[in-house]
Amino acid sequence: MTGVLALIGRNTLAFLRYLSGLYDLTSEAVYWTFVAPFKGREIKWDNAFHQMVLAGVNSIPIVSLISLFIGVVLGLQGAYQLEKFGATYYVTALVGVSMTRELGPLITAIIIAGRSGSAFAAEIGTMKVSEEIDALEVMGLNIVRYLVVPKYLALLVMMPCLTLVSDLAGILGGGIFEIYQLDQTFAMFLSATRDALVMRDITTGLIKSLVFGLIITEVGCYEGFTVRGGAEGVGKSTTSAVVVSIFLIIFADVVFTAIFYYTS
Amino acid sequence: MAHDFEGPMIRVVDLVTYYGERRILNRVNLDIQAGETMVILGGSGTGKSTLIRHIIRLELPTSGHIFIKTHDICHMPEERFDLLRHKIGMLFQSAALFNSMTIEENVSLPLCELTQLEDSTIRIMTRIKLDLVGLNGFENYMPAQLSGGMKKRAGLARALAMDPEILLFDEPSAGLDPVTAAGIDALILKLKRAFRMTIVVVTHEMASAFLIADRITVMDRGEVIAVGTPDEIKASTHPKVQQFLNRTPEEEAIDAQAYLRTLTQSGE
Amino acid sequence: MKVQVRNVEDVAIIDCSGDVDLYSSPRLREALLGQIRGGAKSVLVNMGEVGYIDSSGIATLVEGLQLSRTTKTRFGLYSLRSNARSVLELARLHKVFNLFETEQEALEKIGSVQPFGGL
Repeated sequence: MTGVLALIGRNTLAFLRYLSGLYDLTSEAVYWTFVAPFKGREIKWDNAFHQMVLAGVNSIPIVSLISLFIGVVLGLQGAYQLEKFGATYYVTALVGVSMTRELGPLITAIIIAGRSGSAFAAEIGTMKVSEEIDALEVMGLNIVRYLVVPKYLALLVMMPCLTLVSDLAGILGGGIFEIYQLDQTFAMFLSATRDALVMRDITTGLIKSLVFGLIITEVGCYEGFTVRGGAEGVGKSTTSAVVVSIFLIIFADVVFTAIFYYTS
Repeated sequence: MAHDFEGPMIRVVDLVTYYGERRILNRVNLDIQAGETMVILGGSGTGKSTLIRHIIRLELPTSGHIFIKTHDICHMPEERFDLLRHKIGMLFQSAALFNSMTIEENVSLPLCELTQLEDSTIRIMTRIKLDLVGLNGFENYMPAQLSGGMKKRAGLARALAMDPEILLFDEPSAGLDPVTAAGIDALILKLKRAFRMTIVVVTHEMASAFLIADRITVMDRGEVIAVGTPDEIKASTHPKVQQFLNRTPEEEAIDAQAYLRTLTQSGE
Repeated sequence: MKVQVRNVEDVAIIDCSGDVDLYSSPRLREALLGQIRGGAKSVLVNMGEVGYIDSSGIATLVEGLQLSRTTKTRFGLYSLRSNARSVLELARLHKVFNLFETEQEALEKIGSVQPFGGL
């Protein structure tokens, strides 16, 4: 029994240490992104643009394809339920609202966690193992400013954009199903979508996506900085970057969805 | 930054460092004079690399002080150390080149980031440093395209970029074949003669230590056991020093009872 | 570091004193390139009072030399102290510059050197 309690205690402590590490990294990244530029320490923009291409532009195909499929699936599942009430007209609304409020940001975040979160951890972890991080420090270059801030900025810009792409692709996926199976016209689909959506649906989704982007960067970079033990360590960190960020994304999703629900 | 400073360039005082429960450095005291080449010699795990990492403040001690000139670097704010750090160059064991940048970008990075010099000046400086280490013509290569010895040379060019007063080497010959390693030793000798820099080299290669050193510090289990000129070290009667010089394998204390216990003990 | 420019007949002499390092060499650069661009026929740098010169200083002199070739300006250094000379030699540049021992020698000979360096 004490063994179990000790285990729980140890893991809780480890988790709290992890969170405080994340907090430290985040506050430093926020400082170098939003405060330091006003003190004459410029942001590495070319680096940030490079990351935007890697994390953002290159993710557009996969994000749109997966979202399209999810849209079709949502349409199918929605129709299966709504048919019982003869309310298949509302399938469009169902797809639109669930994509913008929930699934667009979530799918995007999970894909980016898998693509970029792991890449961040691998890049920084490899640099750590090959002493490159030490070399930066020895030169007196700030590692957060140099390595974290460009990634952070890239996702801050790219997550909302990708989320919009995902929203569109998902709604379109739903539309394809509705037009071919439920005998709606394209015009009906469009107007049903427009009727169903309000601005708040989209904005809450975008706000979430910003938070998810923050989580992905911080967890990915933190895992990279805490790599221990050579190439094997990099592999482990890469995996846990994805697992931990997906866990924290879902957790944040619960919190934000609850906040939006109770404040609407 | 003229060499107008009197007294030891680096002074280590009662340095103690623990990693968790394990003691890595035990009351290390060491003076390194301006302009001398000090080699820190010892087997693996004797704390010599840890010591050099303290000198550049990659790690902070549990207690004790390190003075560079008159500054206590263990007890000063990070920002103030930054100014001092620019005058210290370090060549890492793995060379630690930035793999996403060309050799020229690697060497010019500290100059671009930390000085107000014009790009054209920086380009000439970078070429001078690369020429100095024998890498003329390799400006646009990526680190992955270079051999181990060339990577070390490029790493050295980067360490020299800011014209440091102190140059630290962590195992300069690690992972190199004897001929390439001798080339690096010759390079260290050339720099030593040319710039009168203070050079600290951590190594376990005796031949190279006796070749380049003005003075040698021998370390064992986190402690300094001998300091002296190469001749003094050779003549030392300290059993551990002799053991290291004669390459006698570590004698293991045999305690039959304890050994039996380790064999038969069941896991917790 | 101090940089002062004076003219002896049609020769611009840059008197440089103190330490030429990463932080002060931009001022030497400004004076040197300014004189060469300004149309001086000959430019000399007096290194007699330079206690220490690092690679940024050397690079600055190389830039001066490079520019002097395009503008066909005669360019030389004189009164180098031993450490400045050894830094030049280490960078294998002592044969590239016109080096003179004294100001008098420099003024006498600068007129006769080829207007594009020693090479």
